[in-house]
Amino acid sequence: MQFEEKTVLDGFTLKVEPEERLVVMGQTGSGKSTILRLILGTLRPNSGSIFFKQFEITRLGRRKLQRVRRHIGMVYQYSALLSSRNVRDNMALPLEELTDKSRAEIDKIVDEKLDLVGMKDAKDLLPAELSGGMRKRVSIARALVLEPELVLFDEPSAGLDPVIASVIDELIISLSEKSKVTSITVTHEMDSAFRIGTRMAMLYQGKIIEQAEPEEFKQSENPVVAQFLSGSTEGPILEDSQDAITKK
Amino acid sequence: MNMANARQPAVIARGVGQIGRNFLREVGSLFWFIVHTFEETLERIQQGRVPFHATSFFRHTERAGVDSVPLVGLVSFFLGLTMALLTGYQLQRFGTERLIPGLVAIGFTRELGPLLTGIMMAARIGAAFTAELGTMQVTEEVEAIEAMGIGPLRFLVAPRLLALFFLMPCLSTVSNVAAIFASSLICKAYFSIAFPYFFDLVKDALLIRDIITGILKSFLFGLLIGGIACYRGLTVKGGAAGVGTATTSSVVTAITAVIGFDTLYNIVYTTFYPT
Repeated sequence: MQFEEKTVLDGFTLKVEPEERLVVMGQTGSGKSTILRLILGTLRPNSGSIFFKQFEITRLGRRKLQRVRRHIGMVYQYSALLSSRNVRDNMALPLEELTDKSRAEIDKIVDEKLDLVGMKDAKDLLPAELSGGMRKRVSIARALVLEPELVLFDEPSAGLDPVIASVIDELIISLSEKSKVTSITVTHEMDSAFRIGTRMAMLYQGKIIEQAEPEEFKQSENPVVAQFLSGSTEGPILEDSQDAITKK
Repeated sequence: MNMANARQPAVIARGVGQIGRNFLREVGSLFWFIVHTFEETLERIQQGRVPFHATSFFRHTERAGVDSVPLVGLVSFFLGLTMALLTGYQLQRFGTERLIPGLVAIGFTRELGPLLTGIMMAARIGAAFTAELGTMQVTEEVEAIEAMGIGPLRFLVAPRLLALFFLMPCLSTVSNVAAIFASSLICKAYFSIAFPYFFDLVKDALLIRDIITGILKSFLFGLLIGGIACYRGLTVKGGAAGVGTATTSSVVTAITAVIGFDTLYNIVYTTFYPT
C-alpha cells in the first residue's frame, strides 16, 4: 500500500480467525489505521488481496462492497458521529437506510444497544454535548446495530483517562464474548492492548514482524517488539527512524 | 543568459500544458462526480427505496431557496433601479425612454437574473455546502457513512444538488420580478411612465423564449454550483486549513464556471436560434 511515494504496507500478511480479538500494535504512523481502511474497502491497495469470508474486498464493485460492509462495524478513533444528528438518529441511521425495519423496531434496537454501552439516557443529546468516552461508547453501539460479524476498532482508548479507557476495554471484551463478534483493534496503548487481545500482532516497517498470544508476545525475543513493549529509547526502532531521516 | 531566453517559450508552453491538463482533469472529475451521484440515486430508486430523507431535501431547499430570497430580491431590486435609471437617461436623449421596460425585462429574464442569482448562490450556498461537507470529511463522518454501507453521494450530495437544481429557477424568477418592479418605480418617478403602460410595454417586449432561456440556464447553473460545491467539499484534504482553501476554491470556481457557462450557452443559443 502506497501513499504517493511513501510505502506504508509492504509484504503484509495477516489472518484473523472467527471470534478472536486480534490487536495490532505499532508505532504512530506505521499504517495500523490503513489496515482497517483496507479491510473496509475505503482504501484500495496498490497490489495484493483482502478477503472477508468468501468475498475478495479488493475486487468487489461498489454495490457489492456496500453490501459486505453491512457485516463489518467500524469504531473510529475520534468516534466520527454525525454532528448534526442526535445520539438516537446516529444509531438509527444504518437501520433506516439499510433495513426495512419499522420505527418501533428501530427504536427497540437503538435502546437495546445503548443500554449495552450504558448510554440509554443520552439518546436525545447531540455529539457535541457528550464527553470523549461517551462519544466512543455511542460509536461502539452504532457499530453494533446491524449485528456485524467483524468489528474494527481504531485506537479505542486513545485520549481517554485510564478509568474510562478500562471501561471501553471491558466493553469490547464483553461484546465479543456475548455477541461472538470477531474484532480487530489497532492501538499503541499497551495496557489496553493486553487487556483486549486474545492474539497480538506487531506491525513494523509495513510488515507483521511478530504475532502470538498475549503472554507469549510479552516474552518475544524480537528486539523491535521488546523495545516497543519496554518503551526504551535504546534499540532498533529509534536507530531505524534516524536512518530514515538521514536518508531523506 | 541566451540559453535561458531560448528555453523560456518551452517553459511557458509546459506551464500552459500543465494548467490545461489540470483543468481537464478537474472538469472530468466533476462530470463523473455528478454522473455517479445520479447513478447511486437512481440505483436506490430502482431498489424501491427513497434515495435520501425528504426532511434533508427540504432543509436544503429552505436554506438554499427560502433563506436566499431576501438577498436575491434586494440585490436585484437595486440593480433594476440602477439599470433603469442609467439607461433611461441615455434613451431620453433620443426620446425613446419607453424602451426601458423592455430592456430591463429582457436583460434580466434572459441574462442578468440567472447570472446574478448564480453568482449570489455560489457565494452564499456553494460556500456553505463546501464547508459543511469538508468538515464532515476531515472529521471522518463521510467515511463513517461509507463504512456503514451507505452511499455518501446519494445520501449527502443528491439532496443538496437537487435542492439547488430546483430552487435556482425560482430564485431567478424572484430576481427578475424584483428588478422589473424596481425599474417600474424609476420609470414612474423619473420618466412619467405609468404602471399599467409600463407592464404593457414589458408584455410586448418579452417573448416566451426569453423566459424559457433564462429558466433553462438557471437549472444548469444550479447543477453546476451544487456539483462544484459538493465535489470540493468531499475532496478536502488537510484539516481545518484544507476546509478553508476548499471553500475559497469552491466559490471562485463556481462563479467562474457560471460566467463561463453562461457565455458558452449564449454563443450556442444565438448560433442555433438567432433572434
